[in-house]
Amino acid sequence: MNGALGPEYMVVLGVFASMIAVMVSRQRTIAAYWAALAAVVAAGIWTAALWSSPALPISLYAQGVRVDLFSLAIDGLVLLASAGALLVGWNDARYGADFPALVLLALLGMMVLGLANNFLVLFLGIELLSLPLYVLAASGGYAESREAGLKYLLLGAFSSGILLFGLALLYGASGTMVLTQLANSSLILPLAGAGLALTVVGLVFKLGIIPFHMWVPDVYEGSPLPVTTFMAFGTKVGAAAILLRFLFYGFSVAVGWWEPALGYLAVLTMVAGNLLALAQKDMKRLLAYSGIANAGYLLVGISAHNQAGARAMLFYLLVYGLAVLAAFSVFTMVARERNSVSLNDLTGLARRSPWLTAFLAVAMLSLAGIPLTGGFVGKFYLLQAALDANEPGLAIGLVVGAMIGLAAYVRPLQRAFQGGDGTSEAPVRWPVAGAVVVVIAVLGTIGLGVYPAPIVHIVNHSAAFDWLR
Amino acid sequence: MIPLNWVVGLGAALFAIGAVGVMVRKNPLIMFMAAEMMWNAAALVFVTFARSFHDMTGQVMAFIIIGTAAAEVGIGLAIIVSVYHHRHRLDIDEVSELKG
Repeated sequence: MNGALGPEYMVVLGVFASMIAVMVSRQRTIAAYWAALAAVVAAGIWTAALWSSPALPISLYAQGVRVDLFSLAIDGLVLLASAGALLVGWNDARYGADFPALVLLALLGMMVLGLANNFLVLFLGIELLSLPLYVLAASGGYAESREAGLKYLLLGAFSSGILLFGLALLYGASGTMVLTQLANSSLILPLAGAGLALTVVGLVFKLGIIPFHMWVPDVYEGSPLPVTTFMAFGTKVGAAAILLRFLFYGFSVAVGWWEPALGYLAVLTMVAGNLLALAQKDMKRLLAYSGIANAGYLLVGISAHNQAGARAMLFYLLVYGLAVLAAFSVFTMVARERNSVSLNDLTGLARRSPWLTAFLAVAMLSLAGIPLTGGFVGKFYLLQAALDANEPGLAIGLVVGAMIGLAAYVRPLQRAFQGGDGTSEAPVRWPVAGAVVVVIAVLGTIGLGVYPAPIVHIVNHSAAFDWLR
Repeated sequence: MIPLNWVVGLGAALFAIGAVGVMVRKNPLIMFMAAEMMWNAAALVFVTFARSFHDMTGQVMAFIIIGTAAAEVGIGLAIIVSVYHHRHRLDIDEVSELKG
């Protein structure tokens, strides 16, 4: 069917439009931002229109691409992430003229990851996501940003190499590159085992699971704030989507090969990620370790390997993304001209800007999983999925991780309510674009906590992997 | 004709050399080169299996890998040069303002 890839075409048009806008005006221009935002909105509308299409699922290009409700849900999530990143960095002179075009290119990679059904498309999606992000990470123009770009580049190339070699071995073991045909092919055992292990390591690298997480904090801390926002939300969605698709479509039969390993990694990541978050003073670094811990929560949904797990993971991606958008837009407002926010910068924030502190509190409590926020509902569904799958270990790990995490997330709030005489410092200025992001994200977070039913309905439809329990 | 296993073994050896290179060497340029070697090992294995299956998809994958590697080199060298401009020395252990 024509139009099944409409959202992706819209994004491609947006990339061209925003590059042409920069070329025509020969400098940084707000037109590039508007073009990018318009493309994101158009792609979102097209995604919503495709949702009720009776032709789904649609396979295109010799089954290389599969448009189904899962890919559309991923489209929606990454479009939200890129809209948030564009608005947080709206028309900011620090990030160079190419910022909107590069964000859209990385967005395209994430959307491709959502609908990949073939090693070729999988690899192209990963690279399309990574290459613009290397540039974005290094685009801050200060030493830490260049360092972040260099580290991201080296470890990204390394992990892509591992992924590629794994894919090559899997191709040799099965004779096919299509994920949905892997399950039916007779796999040659030692080759397939090695290939699966290397591929999963490569993907888990991108997701930031603990033994492979060392790049995450440095890259998050060094990158400019809007880029960190985009990485924290968008990259996580893309990597989780492709990991779930690869394992659920390709290796649903050989569950015993990967399920236990991912379960142990999930528990290790949840506990150790939150423990490491406790000691952080820099807010970007704190959210980087929180991102690692949250990647562990997402892995619970994957390693539970049932429909409930896939649904819970999709739901949690939205919850996590909204909390991250809210927290980062507050930090961007507090940071103003600087590129980082430390604990000390938050001192007395409650007196300077009570509303901003309230928004930050909602975001942090959602990340910690307090009731009436989306974070609680998301963790609840993940727990349910783990227990459905008869894996109490995963459930225990999740609860312990969340308990440790609470301490880490409350510390910045405690600082915000402490000290500050309220006279010396002016209230924080609110840029309009950032205010839009923070209000929508906070309303979404509370909405998901109070009335999650509509989103749960969407998620249940999009994660309909019938062959699972 | 060279047996399939030998060529795949060569690919695995190249991959291992590349992986060790990334982990052991300190110069970002050499590390980057070693990572590219891992990619090329994968391309070699793809071509090998494609020949033994008489299947074109593996060959196409090798071309895609080469093209993507070229793009990655373009971006990578630009970033490495910008770091070098700033400090006039390339040692990954000295590029360490971010830690904690």
